Amino acid sequence: MTGSTQLVALVDGNNFYVSCERVFRPNLIGKPVAVLSNNDGILVARSQEIKDLGIKMGTPVFQIQHLIKQHNIQLFSSNYALYADMSSRVMSILEEFAPCLEVYSIDEAFLDLTGVCRQDPIAYGQRIKTAVFRATGIPVCVGLAPTKTLAKLANYAAKKWKKTNGVLDLSDPVRREKLMRIVPVGEVWGIGSRTAVKLNQLGIHSVWDLAIQPSQRIQSQFNVVMARTVMELNGVSCLALEEIAPDKQQIVCSRSFSHRLTAYQHVAEALAEFCSRAAEKLRRQRSVTGCVTVFIRTNPFNPQEPQHQRSASLKLTAATQDTRTLIATANRLLKELFKPGYNYHKCGVQLSHIQPESLPGQMELFDFCDHPSPKKNCELMKTVDQINQRFPKAISIAATGFDQSWKPKTERISQRYTTDWLELVKVKC
Amino acid sequence: MFRTAFTQCSPTLSPRTMRLPLFSSKVAAGFPSPADDYIEKTLDLNELLIQKPAATFFARAQGFSMINAGIHPNDILIVDRSIEAVPGNIVVCALNDELTVKRLERENGHWKLKAENPDYADIAVHESLELVIWGVVTNVIHRLYP
Repeated sequence: MTGSTQLVALVDGNNFYVSCERVFRPNLIGKPVAVLSNNDGILVARSQEIKDLGIKMGTPVFQIQHLIKQHNIQLFSSNYALYADMSSRVMSILEEFAPCLEVYSIDEAFLDLTGVCRQDPIAYGQRIKTAVFRATGIPVCVGLAPTKTLAKLANYAAKKWKKTNGVLDLSDPVRREKLMRIVPVGEVWGIGSRTAVKLNQLGIHSVWDLAIQPSQRIQSQFNVVMARTVMELNGVSCLALEEIAPDKQQIVCSRSFSHRLTAYQHVAEALAEFCSRAAEKLRRQRSVTGCVTVFIRTNPFNPQEPQHQRSASLKLTAATQDTRTLIATANRLLKELFKPGYNYHKCGVQLSHIQPESLPGQMELFDFCDHPSPKKNCELMKTVDQINQRFPKAISIAATGFDQSWKPKTERISQRYTTDWLELVKVKC
Repeated sequence: MFRTAFTQCSPTLSPRTMRLPLFSSKVAAGFPSPADDYIEKTLDLNELLIQKPAATFFARAQGFSMINAGIHPNDILIVDRSIEAVPGNIVVCALNDELTVKRLERENGHWKLKAENPDYADIAVHESLELVIWGVVTNVIHRLYP
């Protein structure tokens, strides 16, 4: 396909988590609002008003207490039930506008608009923007371009410059050059801060500086991924829309604790819970894991406390998706990692060496009479998952414990307006 | 933002669909038709009440100002955000820091929000209507059995 005929749109929600909260609290529109991380620790989403105050993404709440009071900043705990539901609504509206859609993250999607709106792409982008806002209340920006990398750039510019009215088309090479000359190279999709520093050292500062590099040179000095980025910036499409999310090569399940844990037993219970969740994810994508990593750490934001941070991995003799095997393995690792006398703040499990589950019966060669067969284990785990799907968390492995006081803090959580009959938005009559 | 695998799910509340069989033959004394065994269709309340699931939200009514329109305290309102409100519609609007339900009316070129209870005053809309209207109420669920 030639670069000139293809058209990709990136639709991205503006301050998505904040916007979700504002749909049900319209009085917060125009006021400073931020959404906090899992454990109410740091800011993970900021309204424009917060950005204008110069408060950065990832700022710990305790560092801005004075600003919170001074500017009456509204803080929310993460309400993932709400954000996931609002996201699926946005995506289902977007599906009406394109034959092919890649959900890239909770708040952004690529749409293949090739041949859909030849006449007036900008008007089509405006229609998308209006339809999403009308149906869901979520404001979005739309970036249009011949490649995904350029569509990302167009979206960045549409968000940044009010004059675009939230929609920008970079199909025209002249307009493209004008924009690329004034945008720093670090804003390009896939270029992290470290790579940006390296590029700057080579005299590549703007996006345009990168776009005019011979891709050969970039490939030899960086890698093939970067060379593709250069081609994409020149309107040559190298990245296809991925309609089906690729299976995860790594599954991580971790969380910060609401209060510090000191007892081995409590950390082990939390870890067992993470193993159960990770194993569910593994089975959902019909995979097995060959390697389990466990990590624990104290709170690095509290430097006056004694710090301890370690991780350890164990390769499994046979790949598995059995919750019990994972918990047993994680426990063995935790016994080595755990040192008493510290206040633990976070722990987690990571599964890697992930591969598709083997065909049924393949392992039967290794069955012994004192071992339940892997096939039976597989069926047991399937049954557990099915029951848990119908009655959430009905069955758990005993090691996860009953108390679970380690669960994260969500003091400022809003209602689950769209997923719980008892928490519907109240309207005054 | 974090990259996540995304599962498409029905946006409205994952309604646990209640399928009610509709039998096509009349109830009559005598020998039943062999066709009675054949179930023609199942009825789904979502199909009846919701046109556009992605734009449909449920809200809990509080207060008495809409009582003559059949909206009682604690009723569940079905609100479709995608419908363009026209005079006569009952709408949810964002007014004075809260979401309010009223009937939209047009009078002498001005928009007005009218209560359906003589004890409550009407409200004139000064802002742009687009800013004020949150959605159009399409149905009321009023529970009769405790």
